Formats: sequence, C-alpha cells, structure tokens
Amino acid sequence: MSEQPTRRDVLGHAARGAALLGLGGLGAYLTRKGGPAGAWQIDTGLCINTRLGLVGLDACQLCATTCVLPLSAVRAVNDHAKCGRCYICPAYFDVKSALDEHGLPSGKLCPRDAIVRKPIGDIDPRDPANNYSEYVIDELRCNGCGLCVLACKEPAGLTSLRLEVRYNLCTNCNRCSIAQACPKNAYERRPARTT
Amino acid sequence: MTKNGTGSFSLPLFVVVLAVAASPARAQQQLHYERPVEAAPQAEDIGAGYVVPVVQHYPPRTQWREVTDVAMLAAALAIGTWLALRRRSRTGFLLLAIGCLAYFGFYRQGCVCPIGAIQNVTAALVYPQYAIPYVVVAIFLLPLVCAVLFGRIFCGGVCPLGAIQELVLLKPLRVPARLDKALGWLKWVYLGLAVWFVVRPAAKPDFIICRYDPFVGFFRFTGPLNILLLGAGLLVLAVFIGRPYCRFLCPYGGLLSLLSRISWRGVTVTPDKELDCGLCAEACPYGAIKNLRATRPACLACARCFRHCPRHRVQTTGGQAPPATP
Repeated sequence: MSEQPTRRDVLGHAARGAALLGLGGLGAYLTRKGGPAGAWQIDTGLCINTRLGLVGLDACQLCATTCVLPLSAVRAVNDHAKCGRCYICPAYFDVKSALDEHGLPSGKLCPRDAIVRKPIGDIDPRDPANNYSEYVIDELRCNGCGLCVLACKEPAGLTSLRLEVRYNLCTNCNRCSIAQACPKNAYERRPARTT
Repeated sequence: MTKNGTGSFSLPLFVVVLAVAASPARAQQQLHYERPVEAAPQAEDIGAGYVVPVVQHYPPRTQWREVTDVAMLAAALAIGTWLALRRRSRTGFLLLAIGCLAYFGFYRQGCVCPIGAIQNVTAALVYPQYAIPYVVVAIFLLPLVCAVLFGRIFCGGVCPLGAIQELVLLKPLRVPARLDKALGWLKWVYLGLAVWFVVRPAAKPDFIICRYDPFVGFFRFTGPLNILLLGAGLLVLAVFIGRPYCRFLCPYGGLLSLLSRISWRGVTVTPDKELDCGLCAEACPYGAIKNLRATRPACLACARCFRHCPRHRVQTTGGQAPPATP
C-alpha cells in the first residue's frame, strides 16, 4: 500500500461504505418489520376433514399426498381432553367391516395402522361396551391422510382428532405444496405456537 | 351378525345407518353404532387413577436451531474467506463445499436459502403486513455483506446449489466469452421475474425461485418430475459447462456479482512475479481470469486456479484495487 491513497482507493472505500450502509439499513428496516419465523399450520375451522357442516364428503387426503417430504409433515392429533374414549371408536375401527367373535369390527379404518388402542380405567367385565379406551396416534406411521379425522367428526364422533403440521418435520417451504393444493385454503403461515 | 357388503366406509351412508339403526324395530343385522358419550369422559368417570395424557405436540423449531442455521452460514463464509484469501486451498474448498452441501442441502433440505429469500425480502418491502422472519433477513444479508468485503465466497463453497454443480464439473469446456456474457443476462431477467411475481397486483406472491429450484428435489429425494428432469439436465450440462445455474440463472448470484465489483479484497492470482504461463486462466472453468487477473464479478472463489499454479506462492493483495477489466 502506498502512503498516498489514490483516487481509486478513495472511491472504492466510499462505494464499499455506501454498500455496507445500504445493506445495514435494509437489514435494520427488515428487522423492524420482522418477527420470529412463522410456521405453516392448518386452520381446523377450514379443513374439510374437521369443518362442521361439511358432511358427506370423502376425506381429503391431499395433506398426505402433496407434501414434498416422502412422509408428509402432517400428522393426526388426538386431543385427549375432547376424546370420548369410545369402546368402539369410528376412527379406529372400520365400522362397516364384519364383526369378530368379540363383537368388535374386524377391520381398522387407518390404512397404515397408525392408531394405538389401549383399554383404560376400571374394567366392567359384564358389559364390554361400558369400558373406555385410549387412542394415541403413532407418529412414525401416520401420514396425515385424515381418514380418522373425518370419521371423528360430529355427529359420529366428538371431533377430537384433527390434522396438524408437525413443526419438527415441516421444512417450512416458502411455497408449501400442500398450501397450494388445499381446496379450502386452510393452510397459513402463522407465528409458531409456543406451547 | 352378518358381513355388510357395501364396500368402503362413506359418511352419508353411515349417517343413514345411524338413523335407521336407532329404530327399535330393526333387527340386529349389523354393528349397531351409536356414539356412546355426548362429551369427553373425565378422569373420575374412567376411574382406576386414569390421568388424561397430554396432547401429542412437538414444540416449534426452537430458536437455537434457527440460530444454528445462521451461525453455520456465518462460519462457512468465514472459513471460505480464509480458504480463498489466505490458505488458497482447493482441497479445503472442496471439503467446505461437501460440508455445506451436506448441511444446507441434504440436512436442511435446501431451506432456508438466500436465493429464495430474495422474494421474501421483496414481499417484506412491498407489503406492509408481511412479517419476514429474522432468520431469513440474516440469511439473505450475510452473503451480501461478505461479497462487499471479500467477493463471491458464498457461491464458491457455501451455497449447496453451487456445491452440487461444482462437484460434478469434471470436463470443463470453455464457453465463448460473448455467449457467456449474453447468457449472463438471463439471471437479471430471472431476478426481474422474481420481483414481479411478488409485487404484481391482484395475486398472491408466487415464490417462483423456490418452485423452479432445480436441485432442491435432489436434496429431498422427491419433487415434481419436470423439476427433477430440469435439475438432472442442468447437472449433466454442469459436467462440461461450469455451473450453468450459478452463472446464467441464479438471481442471487447476480446481486453478489454486482456487489463483488466493489469488494474490498478478493481472490487474486499471482500478485507478485507471475509466470505469465496462463495455466490459471486455462484452469478457470468460469472464464473469470482475464489478462491473468481474476475478475471479481465472475470469480466464484472455487480456488481451482490455485491448484493449477506452478508457483502457488500467490498471496492476497492488501487493498489493491481490482484490475481494470478490458
């Protein structure tokens, strides 16, 4: 470096300074407008599979089929506070299938066998139907197809099942392909739930 | 109990069955399903010390993971700068490229990336209600600041899209300079389109950069067939023509090349006593060495030239002005 800065050096420094200031200003402006990263979530009030009044439809399985991930980031969730814990759960059993020797439907509704059924509470041996069962989603199997969610809708069920985008699985694409495909625009990017 | 022969479960039929089954005259031919409860039973109804389990939830992507992404980007840029300007190591750059391809590409599955962030930033500037995540701001700005200071380090070894093309470039062919320049305009067209698809009125922003990202399908091992084919085609092309996406299409590369024109320092070829052998210019697959000097807008800091330099005693020039482009 020469002691005497050339005109070129000065111009270069000025340009760099201006560019850095500009980027800094842009960053400051964007940060003021910014927020914590939003996350794609399903508005259950809009989702076909849970929305009340939308009866008589087949389950919309686009959450399972359109996600860019090999196994969709959408999973069914059972809200245990709302679950009726029915002995014969219409979301667990295929209630149209033939009954087995215990009087339970022989088929399961979930094509991936992703719901785990466990008897709970005091067992009434004389009346099996008077017992409760707990239903838990097996997260590793569920692909968010929504068949169970639709089956749990009123009046058959208590709407305790819903679909949810799993934060830990979702890549949070700018252009969520499920959001593009969703017929009810139920997908939106919202500030991430904290609980 | 007889088997009900009516195919798959459908809700309207099911509701009808409910209504019919409720009449006492009907014989018990099939499952007499009624919802046994009107509300969720409470723990005391269930008995045996039953505790209502918590709803299965996964916490949101925790803050530290997002901070990790930004920190990884900053660290990769710092290592890249050191490798390109001080260490001048092609091997190091290849390792960096592989590492970044693994993390930003395959682990983070190509999201979040500064290229697509162009459209988020545009949306944040245009729409008052659009809140841009902090992490996107940081990921967008860090490589730009790095370009003002040190040149296109991000392109060289950090960007997973660049890295995947760099790694397949086995038989580089020289693109005629005029064609190179002409094709280079495409990226400005793409940048213009990207901005337009955000600001156009009466339509939701369409993130075309993400939609037509040619390589993200490989990172995720899935994607629309046409995009996978586009990516495969570009990769085959990239075996012979150095980084076609970076040089001709990438809109963020355009921004970086613009800023690297005024960069403080950059990759320099033989600042002292050069041999004038021209091996470096031969080695550069991107046509970035003119008059035996690296032109900063085109130099992708891949460090190939260092490997081909017989002297390899090249050093960085402290603050020397970028060479005049003819």
